[in-house]
Amino acid sequence: MDRKVAIAGFRMAAAPDLETTRERLVFELSKGLLDDLGIDRDAVDNFVLCSNDFLDGRTISHVFLGPPAGGYMKDQTKVEMDGLNAFIYASMGIISGQYDVTMVLAMSLTGSQVSPYLYFDYSLDPTYDRQLKLLNELSAAALEARSYLAANGYPEELLDAVAVQNLKNAAANPGQARRIEGVSREKVKGSPYYYEPLRELHCYPPTDGGCAMLLVSERKAEELTDKPVWLLGMGRSTDIYFIGDRDLSTSLSAAQAAQRAYAMAGIKDPAAELGFAEISSPFAHQEPLLAESMGLLEKGKAAAAYEAGDTAVDGGMPLNPSGGPLGGNPLCAAGLIRVAEAARQLRGEAGENQVKKADKALVHGQDGLCAQQSAVVILGT
Amino acid sequence: MEETKVVTGAWELSTFKFNVEGRGLQLMLKHMKDRKLMGIKCHQCGTVYLPGPFYCRKCHIKIDEPAEVSDHGQVMTFTIGYADVRGNPLDEPRIAPIVKLDGCDSWIMGVMQGCAPEDVHVGMRVKVQWAEETTGSLQDMQYFVPE
Ligand SMILES: [Zn+2]
Repeated sequence: MDRKVAIAGFRMAAAPDLETTRERLVFELSKGLLDDLGIDRDAVDNFVLCSNDFLDGRTISHVFLGPPAGGYMKDQTKVEMDGLNAFIYASMGIISGQYDVTMVLAMSLTGSQVSPYLYFDYSLDPTYDRQLKLLNELSAAALEARSYLAANGYPEELLDAVAVQNLKNAAANPGQARRIEGVSREKVKGSPYYYEPLRELHCYPPTDGGCAMLLVSERKAEELTDKPVWLLGMGRSTDIYFIGDRDLSTSLSAAQAAQRAYAMAGIKDPAAELGFAEISSPFAHQEPLLAESMGLLEKGKAAAAYEAGDTAVDGGMPLNPSGGPLGGNPLCAAGLIRVAEAARQLRGEAGENQVKKADKALVHGQDGLCAQQSAVVILGT
Repeated sequence: MEETKVVTGAWELSTFKFNVEGRGLQLMLKHMKDRKLMGIKCHQCGTVYLPGPFYCRKCHIKIDEPAEVSDHGQVMTFTIGYADVRGNPLDEPRIAPIVKLDGCDSWIMGVMQGCAPEDVHVGMRVKVQWAEETTGSLQDMQYFVPE
């Protein structure tokens, strides 16, 4: 990269119901972040907002959200996909030399606003899948889960192990929306099936929330932060929409996005070189599925890795030490919150959940049914 | 919060008109009257799709070679649902598999009958249960049943 990009700061919010307005959430995140850094909106030259018209209930939603973000009379554009795409797009503006200071802000109030999980109906192909009346976000994830377990000969208990690890991490993270005390495999197993094999506690909780982040050039990083977190590599890949055209037992999009990011960051052996990963896995099976696809866990050995504690906060490859999307998953902001959680680790500010090897990390974001699209970035200190 | 109040709203999105690619679907429907499944094959990579698109989604070229697909196949994955897609409870659990029909590369989703939920498994052989009287509509292909 010609010009380096640093994360100078961030603000996050997540709860089942924030009891706030869209404008107020955007204002509090952006204003709070600028206050943290001791600057005001004059110091920001570009705003990249991330929201979704279906989730927001009005089209071209950023026309309403630009002013509360501080974007009055500034360059201001919107990304409709996951927040990690907004992060990458914002970074490109700095790498190109066009901007020095960019605010990325992603949000949705899906926890309190829409029928949980069901908005995906609007994203289905209207002439076929929607007419079929069998697919929604949960049933699609369940099909993917079954395919992954069957292809690898994993027991359904793997889902419980993943959920318990994430929910324990989430309980120790004050920023998470779903914090269950004393979570156990019995408790996970006791939650009702949504679509077999996925139970309630294998699925992300509908969450209100958002994240604002300030990305800066190297020159500005010196002024604004003592603990810059650097962008080392990025990659994206998009698979075919129709899930019947894909092998659901693996993720080609995550594999390719990761390879592209590794090539840019000069990473040859991700499992050895990366200290931990924050993965957008809104359903329990997706964490090992995506980790295997991205070369973080050995293919076919995920169940053993979870049993041995390799993926726990104090293991060899901690996955979602923040508690991940099972602890809270504000749509649109999901991937950007993973970036912020990784940055918290890299700055040594993760408290009880602090990992040992916090020098280089992978962050994954996704969009579409069964991670049709994947985005990956590598961050480092 | 005292400072906010709730106003309910709906966004009516039911007034769209969708033009549908006719050829692949017409080809499929025409042969369904004779209880045959006709897809389209990519002449470059060999991928067979059902229903057939006008282009290969992988190669990005136009395709139009009809290819017959078997009405037998195997379960690639499945889920058991207790509610419909809008969240309304169902009277009985519904088995929804994705099936790879023999001779076809794209997989199709449907409902399975004639089998208890606990007996379904990935890799299971199934076949299409055709309607008593076929009319050349998607309803001709009623369910998947064990082979
Ligand atoms: Zn082809």
